[in-house]
Amino acid sequence: MRLLLIEDDLQAAEYLVKGLRENGYTLDHSADGRDGLIKATQQRYDVIIADRQLPWLDGLSIIGALRQKGDRTPVLILSALGTVDDRVHGLKAGGDDYLTKPFALSELLARIEALSRRSSASATEVTRLQLADLEIDLLARRVTRAGKNIDLTAKEFQLLEYLMRRPGQIVTRTMLLEGVWNLHFDPQTNIIDVHMSRLRNAIDKGYARPLIHTVRGAGYVLRDEQ
Amino acid sequence: MSNKAFRLSTARLTTLYVAIFAAGITVLLTSVYVLTSRVLDREVDAVIQAEVNGLVDGYSQGGLLQLIETLHGRADSWGRSGAVYLMVDAYGRRIAGNIARWPVATHTGDKWLEFEIDASEEGGVVAHPVRAQVFRLPGGRQLLVGTDILERKRLASRLRSAMLWGTGLCLALAVLVSYFYSQRVRRRITAVASTCETIMGGELSQRLDVEGSHDEFDELSATVNRMLDRIEQQTDLLRMTFDSAAHDLRAPLYRARVRIEEALQHPDVASSSREVMDATLTELERVQRTLGTLLQIAQADGRARELALEDVDLANLAREIVDLYQPEAGTRGITLSYEGSSSAVLRGNQQLLAQALVNLVENALKYVPSGGRVDVAVHSSEDILLSVADNGPGVPAEDRQRILQPFIRLERDRNRTGSGLGLSLVAAVMRLHRATVELLDNHPGLKVSCRFQEKGIRSTR
Repeated sequence: MRLLLIEDDLQAAEYLVKGLRENGYTLDHSADGRDGLIKATQQRYDVIIADRQLPWLDGLSIIGALRQKGDRTPVLILSALGTVDDRVHGLKAGGDDYLTKPFALSELLARIEALSRRSSASATEVTRLQLADLEIDLLARRVTRAGKNIDLTAKEFQLLEYLMRRPGQIVTRTMLLEGVWNLHFDPQTNIIDVHMSRLRNAIDKGYARPLIHTVRGAGYVLRDEQ
Repeated sequence: MSNKAFRLSTARLTTLYVAIFAAGITVLLTSVYVLTSRVLDREVDAVIQAEVNGLVDGYSQGGLLQLIETLHGRADSWGRSGAVYLMVDAYGRRIAGNIARWPVATHTGDKWLEFEIDASEEGGVVAHPVRAQVFRLPGGRQLLVGTDILERKRLASRLRSAMLWGTGLCLALAVLVSYFYSQRVRRRITAVASTCETIMGGELSQRLDVEGSHDEFDELSATVNRMLDRIEQQTDLLRMTFDSAAHDLRAPLYRARVRIEEALQHPDVASSSREVMDATLTELERVQRTLGTLLQIAQADGRARELALEDVDLANLAREIVDLYQPEAGTRGITLSYEGSSSAVLRGNQQLLAQALVNLVENALKYVPSGGRVDVAVHSSEDILLSVADNGPGVPAEDRQRILQPFIRLERDRNRTGSGLGLSLVAAVMRLHRATVELLDNHPGLKVSCRFQEKGIRSTR
């Protein structure tokens, strides 16, 4: 997968380039907005990561220019240092995701993964999702595992649906908070973990093969490990 | 409150002005009237007196016959000069003169009397008032000399009505002028007050209007504007300093964290070092959080303009957050519940409001012992009322306002984790949304109550 990183903080960029390459991405780096936009128009990227405040051309203007040309490449905005940025502005401008500095590399990796899958996913409406012997019916809002009914609360159902739509993909706690609760902040306590352990109890307890896995230092993944 | 008191003071001032003015005008015009009519009266009396003196002189020189002749000579003068003469004998019979009989007096004095004579004029019969003097002659004869005072009476009445109209007009003018003046004063002061309100709401770049009339209000507005310029300059300077400081702190913190994370990925790190590095990471994160919260407070307090505003359903937000924290509360044996309106929409910044709510809920959960409860409520009527109440240890009354300030923590919480900024952020977010925060006694426990009076941030953009 090919990424473009537009970041003027060279030290941060160096670390990100290294981290992303280590995780198997092909990466181009631009240190200013103008160069970034030129690169973005000359080459197809799977995901563009752009800092919001850049020399010459800021991140939101880059998105504007791309979208005007009909380029739908997903863009992840990194909010500038020192200011409390507003994700609403960023997403309104056409950004696909928004990450506030400082962030953990694992958070960035998970979001890049999510964005690249989103762009390749088919747009057809699904009514049923299935992983191994776990099945959910989105219309009847019913969950079964190995044919047995599982009762979930409304929130637990939403949580499971979020995971089922991203099988094998790492989801971080902040992604869950944004996707399921529509809240955008870093929780100070392990509130998401409590929800996940409840969901785990309902889904995995009593079955030989657990489907929900914890990824240390990153988040969770729903996966059928053969 | 201040507005009301002000209205009272202008109204009082205006009324006082009008009253003094009215009294002055009345005294002035009344004296003019009294003096003028007295002068006129004296003039009439002097004319009559002179005529009587003339007739009496003639009598003493030429005797009764001479007098009668003189009277005859003047008999037809009525109507031209308005003079009235009559001489009667001791039995009241007319001897000479230009009126038929002794008149019926309407007013009698010592030697003066007033009566009326009917005279036919163009418009019909008109009663002419006459003022006359009676002179007693020897032998019981009496001489009456008078003059028509109709014109004088008319003049007096014209003078009186002119005086009344004058007073009335002056009064009306005074009332009108003072009304417009007080309206103008009120309008300008209201404008100043509302601009000040906007400025207090975080719009530091707003300025008072200067009309260009160079009056005291312009002078005051200009002075206040200069003061605001100074305040804005200093705030900007403070903000820039703060921003650069935050920037310069965040970048190295971020790099330090990244380096430790990188080092932790090495497989040959000893487990003891790993522990130290993990602990350092936790500490770094704490510092980053504190810095982040400070930036949020700064933004909520001084940069309302840069924030994205949207319609936020506070009731829905509270339900989501209660839902989010319910399992966490459950593991601590605390009951967390929501009750209230199904929807409470206000204009504001969703992210900051969510953060404030989370801070309140986390705070309550931190202090309430197992078995306790935390109740979140949002009620929407005229105002929107948000409250988070617990039955924990509460906060002593004297500390309640204090703990809204940054870095202020209660003595008993010295050993607890936390930055001491949670409630300050709540206070800043509420100030931004024009809500008042009250810390109340929940008997037992603490109840934080936020009242949104204007349904959030007014859209001034």
